[in-house]
Amino acid sequence: MESKDSKSGVGRSYNGLISAILFVLSYLIARIVLKQPDLAEILRILVALLPVVPFAWLLWEIIRGVREMDELEKRIQLEALAVAFPLTLILLMTLGLLEIAIKLPAEDLSYRHVWAMLPTFYFLGLFLSKRRYQ
Amino acid sequence: MKNSIRELRDAHNMSQEELAAKLEVSRQTVHAIETDKYDPMLPLAFRIAKVFGMSIEDVFQHERKKR
Repeated sequence: MESKDSKSGVGRSYNGLISAILFVLSYLIARIVLKQPDLAEILRILVALLPVVPFAWLLWEIIRGVREMDELEKRIQLEALAVAFPLTLILLMTLGLLEIAIKLPAEDLSYRHVWAMLPTFYFLGLFLSKRRYQ
Repeated sequence: MKNSIRELRDAHNMSQEELAAKLEVSRQTVHAIETDKYDPMLPLAFRIAKVFGMSIEDVFQHERKKR
C-alpha cells in the first residue's frame, strides 16, 4: 500500500518540473528576443509577458499540491508563509523608506530582483518549519 | 497531548509507512504525532483510533504541552 508521500506527489512533481523548465526557457527566450531594438512595441509586450503563462501554470500546480497535502504538511506551508510574508513586508518597507531618504540603484533593486526574495524567504520558512516537526 | 501510537503500532506489527498509508497522510506526519511534535486534528485522531479499534481517549491522553 502506498502512503500519501508517493501516491499523490509523482504526477504533481512531474507537472511542476515541466512548468518550471518551460518558465526558465521562455524567460531566457524573452530576454534574447527583447535585445532586438527594432521590435514593434506590441510584440515586445507579448514577448515580455510570455514567461507569465508557464509561471502561472507552475503556481497552479503548487496550489493543487497544497490542496492534496495532509494537515501537518498544510501547517508547515502556513508556517513557511508566516515567515516569508512579514520578511517580505520588512524588505519592501525598508526599500521604500530608503527610497525616500536616498537614491537607490534602480538596476540592482528593480522588481526583477526584489520579487526573487519572496521565494527565498518562503524556502527559509519551509526549512525552519520542516525542521520543527522532524 | 501524549499518545500511545508507537506502542499500538508495535503491537500491531505495523510500520510508520503502513500506518501513514491507512490514514492517508505522510510518514512524516505519523512520525511527528508519535513524537508529540504535532497534535492531530479531531478527524485524524478519530481515524487513528479507528485503525487500532480503540477510542480516542485510549490513544490520546491530555497533558499540558511544553512548547
